[in-house]
Amino acid sequence: MSVNSENTKAQMRKGVLELCILSILSQGDAYPTEIIDKLKETKLVVVEGTLYPLLTRLKNTGLLAYRWEESTSGPPRKYYKLTEIGEQYLKEIQQSWFELTDIVNKTIAPKNS
Amino acid sequence: MNKTVTINISGIIFHIEEDAFDKLSKYLGTIKGYFSKTDGGSEIMSDIEARIAEMLQGKTSAIKQVVLMADVDSVIETMGKPEEFAEGAGETSSNNEEEEYTTTTEGVKKRLFRDPDHKAVGGVCSGIAAYFDIDMIWVRLAMFLLVFFGGLSLWVYIILWIVIPEAKTTADKLAMKGEKIDINNISKTVKEEAQQFKKRAEKFGSELRDQHGNVPKNFFEKVADFIKDFLILFTKFFARIIGLILLIFGVMFMLGLISSVFGFSIVGANTELNDWINLFFMERSHYTLGLIGICLFFGIPFIMMIYGGVKLLFKIHYSNRWLNISAGIFWLIGLITVLFVGISTGQDFNEVGKVKEPVQLNITRDTLHLSLADSKELYEHLNVKEEDLEDYDSHGNHRTRRGGHSDDYIVAKANDKKFIIGFAKLNILPASGDRFEMYVIKKARGTDKRAAVERAKNIDYKLNATDSTIKFNEIFTVTANEKFRMQEIDVILKVPRGKVVFLDKSLVNIIYDIENTTNTYDADMVDRRWIMGQNGLECIDCEGLDFDEEEFYKQQHLNPPPPPGTPAEPGAINVHAEDAKVNIDKNGIHVKSKDADVNIGENGIHIDTKGEKGNKGEKGEK
Repeated sequence: MSVNSENTKAQMRKGVLELCILSILSQGDAYPTEIIDKLKETKLVVVEGTLYPLLTRLKNTGLLAYRWEESTSGPPRKYYKLTEIGEQYLKEIQQSWFELTDIVNKTIAPKNS
Repeated sequence: MNKTVTINISGIIFHIEEDAFDKLSKYLGTIKGYFSKTDGGSEIMSDIEARIAEMLQGKTSAIKQVVLMADVDSVIETMGKPEEFAEGAGETSSNNEEEEYTTTTEGVKKRLFRDPDHKAVGGVCSGIAAYFDIDMIWVRLAMFLLVFFGGLSLWVYIILWIVIPEAKTTADKLAMKGEKIDINNISKTVKEEAQQFKKRAEKFGSELRDQHGNVPKNFFEKVADFIKDFLILFTKFFARIIGLILLIFGVMFMLGLISSVFGFSIVGANTELNDWINLFFMERSHYTLGLIGICLFFGIPFIMMIYGGVKLLFKIHYSNRWLNISAGIFWLIGLITVLFVGISTGQDFNEVGKVKEPVQLNITRDTLHLSLADSKELYEHLNVKEEDLEDYDSHGNHRTRRGGHSDDYIVAKANDKKFIIGFAKLNILPASGDRFEMYVIKKARGTDKRAAVERAKNIDYKLNATDSTIKFNEIFTVTANEKFRMQEIDVILKVPRGKVVFLDKSLVNIIYDIENTTNTYDADMVDRRWIMGQNGLECIDCEGLDFDEEEFYKQQHLNPPPPPGTPAEPGAINVHAEDAKVNIDKNGIHVKSKDADVNIGENGIHIDTKGEKGNKGEKGEK
């Protein structure tokens, strides 16, 4: 049973990962390590490796753009930022997220709403 | 103290321990394999490398400058294992699972695995299909046909099942699909290996120059290294070929073993072989044991040949210790079983026992007529047919009477009892006194002399003697339920000097190497009278019999004529007609025809006519 619930939780986290990344970037530009740190606080990411293909795909679909910044302590950093399309896209999925959570919350705990 | 390697990740230099480096580069290689065909694969890769560089930087400092194994482990844990990657990639990209495997396999060395995801039985066929990049339905079909119709038994599949490792991790599954194996790829690998070898050789050469004469011990070490490298390269090239040869021969030997054992155990049960098994082995179970022992003793090495062949052919490095040990144990069991059956059976053949039974004779005439008894009744009683007594001759051409071959036996059945039937031999020797004497010598084998003699007494041989005739039997029988232990009957007739024996035609199959003054072959001795002379048996009515050519020429101090076809000596004339030869040379004139021989030489004129008996002249034709 516990295995199943772990699996479902992982699936749920993955489903909202894209939304969270876009949201983090909407609060300001960030490079992957920063994004990871923030995601780790929310326990949304278990392994970092998952993030990079996702970022690249978002960038390739035009939702994100990046610029290089020199770092004093390590390799140059790739700062990601939301494009205009990305902001538009984020608004849409945020909207649908709120609607979804509203409905889902009502469905799973009708008395509290 | 550990060796370190200097590496560059995302432009940052790290000193890393050698084993840690191996692990890291392997890890990166695997990841690269995943993303090499997805969009922006190289970008993802460089992002990941940058992150790893960053993480490793956090783990090193001015005091701790070297990246250790533990650091690499923690990086890998943070970044995630390749299989977790595959899951992530699968989720985020819209590709279905199937496509994802095929699109991300470039750069990964292909290896043979069993495919657990597409398995019907053990995943052997689907693994082979993946390895050779063909549709698995064909492999399965081929395997099915081979197993059920092609004589390839289930054990081949089982061996493959044991030998080929299962693709457990995603990395394994990728390697299973891996880079296509084609000429380009193989030549690439070969080139790379040769290049590496060349580098090592150059390095070796330069080191040799540097250290020449200084450190002799080091020199030998370097030579050893060089040879080792060469051998590694050599074996890499030839391992597959050797593997293939081992595999083919192993399968062939195994098929041979299985078909013969199968033949002996199943088919043999309904034939004469079944009787022989009972007659030969101490107990029936010994035969079964022996078969099992032979299966193990020969089968295990054959199976290991196949096992090793598959391992070499597909570069499978994992070794199943349990399998090796149990194979060794089973082989030993096989050896012990074979030895046990062999020794326990062989012991019963250990000693020869002989019984010499004199036969009372009352011969009053000077001429003794020897012939075979009419055995029809005996044969009927033993249910032996005439054709049972015949066999193909040693060339397999035409059928001859079995008699005269002391090593030939048949099994007969009468009154529900099994008998061994053997063939008696007759010899004629000079007697010391002035009476005919006869002995039947019975021979058999046993664990010791006494047992052998007891067994020999159980041989039954009959003959009839009157005052002027002796009728022999062609066969002897061994008491029912007695084991086969090389029973033999030798009949010896001793003829006093001056007495005559007539050998009837029927004896041709039982007389064996009877000595006579003219060295006449057994087959030519029958149908004639022989007198016991000073030096042995002399032929009385052999005028028509072909003489022993060699002996004749020796006696006449003549050179034998050259065989047909050889060039005649100068001045000699050779004429070869269909049934006559004329030879004129310095020794005289020789005419040899079907009916008569004429020799004219310094010894006078000899004329031999063969008369009606010319058909016996087989030997002279030689």
